[in-house]
Amino acid sequence: MPGNERPAVRVLAEQRALVTPVILFGVLLIISAWHGPHLFTSDGLAGAVIGAAPLVLATLAITPVALAGPAGVDLSIGPAMTFINIAVVLGLAPLGFSGPAAVFVFAIALGVALEVAMGTLIAVLRVSTVVVTLAVYLVLDGLNTVILPQPGGTAPAWLANWGSASSVLSPILYVPLAAFVLWTLLSRTTFFRNVRLMGANDRTAFVSGVPLIPTRIGAHVIAGVFAGIASVMFTGLIGSADPTAGASYTLSAVTALVIGGASLGGGRAKGLGSVLGAIDIWLISYVLSTFNFGLNASYWVQFATGAVLVAALVTGGIVTGLPARGWWRGRQRGMVPARPGR
Amino acid sequence: MHVGATGQPGLGAFLTEHWSAAMAAAVLVALIGFGAATIDGFWSPLNLRSNLVFASFLGIATIGQTLCALIGGLDLSIPFVLGAANVGLVKLINQGVPSGFGIVIVLALAGLIGAFNGAVSHRLRGQSLVVTLGVGNAVLGLVQILVSSGGVSGISGGTIEGKIPQWIERFSSFKQSIGIAPAVILWAALIVLTVLLLRRTWFGRSLYALGGNPIAAERVLISSRWSWTLVFGASGVTAALTGILLLGYTGSGYAGVGDPYLFTTIAAVLIGGTSLVGGRGGYGLSVLGVLILTVLQTILSGFSLSQAAQEAILGALIIPTIALYARSPHPRLLI
Repeated sequence: MPGNERPAVRVLAEQRALVTPVILFGVLLIISAWHGPHLFTSDGLAGAVIGAAPLVLATLAITPVALAGPAGVDLSIGPAMTFINIAVVLGLAPLGFSGPAAVFVFAIALGVALEVAMGTLIAVLRVSTVVVTLAVYLVLDGLNTVILPQPGGTAPAWLANWGSASSVLSPILYVPLAAFVLWTLLSRTTFFRNVRLMGANDRTAFVSGVPLIPTRIGAHVIAGVFAGIASVMFTGLIGSADPTAGASYTLSAVTALVIGGASLGGGRAKGLGSVLGAIDIWLISYVLSTFNFGLNASYWVQFATGAVLVAALVTGGIVTGLPARGWWRGRQRGMVPARPGR
Repeated sequence: MHVGATGQPGLGAFLTEHWSAAMAAAVLVALIGFGAATIDGFWSPLNLRSNLVFASFLGIATIGQTLCALIGGLDLSIPFVLGAANVGLVKLINQGVPSGFGIVIVLALAGLIGAFNGAVSHRLRGQSLVVTLGVGNAVLGLVQILVSSGGVSGISGGTIEGKIPQWIERFSSFKQSIGIAPAVILWAALIVLTVLLLRRTWFGRSLYALGGNPIAAERVLISSRWSWTLVFGASGVTAALTGILLLGYTGSGYAGVGDPYLFTTIAAVLIGGTSLVGGRGGYGLSVLGVLILTVLQTILSGFSLSQAAQEAILGALIIPTIALYARSPHPRLLI
């Protein structure tokens, strides 16, 4: 079949996962231009960059886990970011290590440690990602409130300054850009190809000699790096430590991941899609904030995020051409390792 | 079915076959012993009665989660549907809808929402987790918008006041002359019904077939789509029912009332020994899980641990049970 198609058609077919986030992006930009033109001022753009940066990085963090499949949804990302946030503000800064290098190294190390712990459980025990990350979600969410019952502390001055959104061209823009470049470089490695193969079909990967356990843990290492950076951005955004503010990042990041065209079956996810999906989610909450919903604003955001997630799931299923019948065959292809019997 | 090492029926064979149940029962007995030894007033009638009421709330919500787990799905919309039913019913009653009719409306809507969950999850090759997460948030957000758009009787901070009919309050109250709350009797009836449904009906057995081997189940003409739709629909109904019972217990509507049930329903299923991969377990086991969680919560509260600390401890306790009941086979065995 390939070969007799025109290149443009093939490019479009390869990039079809990006159709949904790009269209949504365009629509949201038009609505913003009509109803919230403040976005297109330099202040508005600077606010957008700092507002969206934590979510962009959180979505990049859960993307390798989704790639590694099967059904690799990392639910722990919100409380994990909060946990690192609290550790940086209340644990690291009072010890005198408050420079950028110390904060980034510490946050990334903690993120990697958390993700490797989960990845090891998932890979060695062969337990579903969802169950492990849900348990870790609860442990960390409870622990965050135990450590810090009320929001408190202050972020290091340089980081709080990043969060004050004084200009568009600031480190808060460069860090996500650098993270995206890092992602692009990583996604060209053989290791990443192994992760994709394992996610698409772990049996094929196994017989092809892909070491399943190290590959899965490696995917979580990458997730941990981005989770750490996401948490630094989050700390800059809120300027303090907050035990509950981060938990909602789980829903937003999963929604952004799905909008970005990641296949929850594993093996298919794009960094660019995840970034666009995250920007879309931020734009949705921005657009909603331009309407005068008063006390109802948070309910509208909750409703819109949930509804967009469902809509993206349904249309995404159609765009990427899931078979209408016989999804069990998809299951047999390695989404959930099927039992012998065919 | 497992057969004992000797192949002969006997205590060993019985324990091998029912080892999840035996283990859960042993844990329950040990916890009760520990609670009785360390907590003052553990055996007091008031404590037992209130614990049974709490167990019945969790138990009814867990019916849906157990059914979903048996076919290999998970319902994360339970806390949201539960909260939506809780505040939605208050709003309906405030609008002058008769309470009985209002309950029927709420249960029917919750059933439809659940059915949508099931149908879409099935269409998306069993991605029930993300579907139910999205649907749940959309539903609770929408219901809160609708409930709060009513002027003075609006919602604030997620709570809504209203005149709850006395019969709803009495239904969940453990300070009854008969000594036991009607909600507990309802739970007992639902236990019998659910266990009979799963063990004695064609539909119940087909759920095990579907969870055990979906391809084989489809070959014997079990409709996976219908099973998913019906099972998730039932889960919506049991979640809403729990929300209504909780409304009777607390006396006012609160949208966040379901929050603990996201975790506890899954924990009860896992601790009982129903596999999250599907096909193995049953509601009887989940009842043991519910009782274990209830006793454990009494003990943790007895040590005056905060809600957050309890959440962290229960989350940490769940990981070992995952290692027992939620493992998939090695790819090597599937080639």
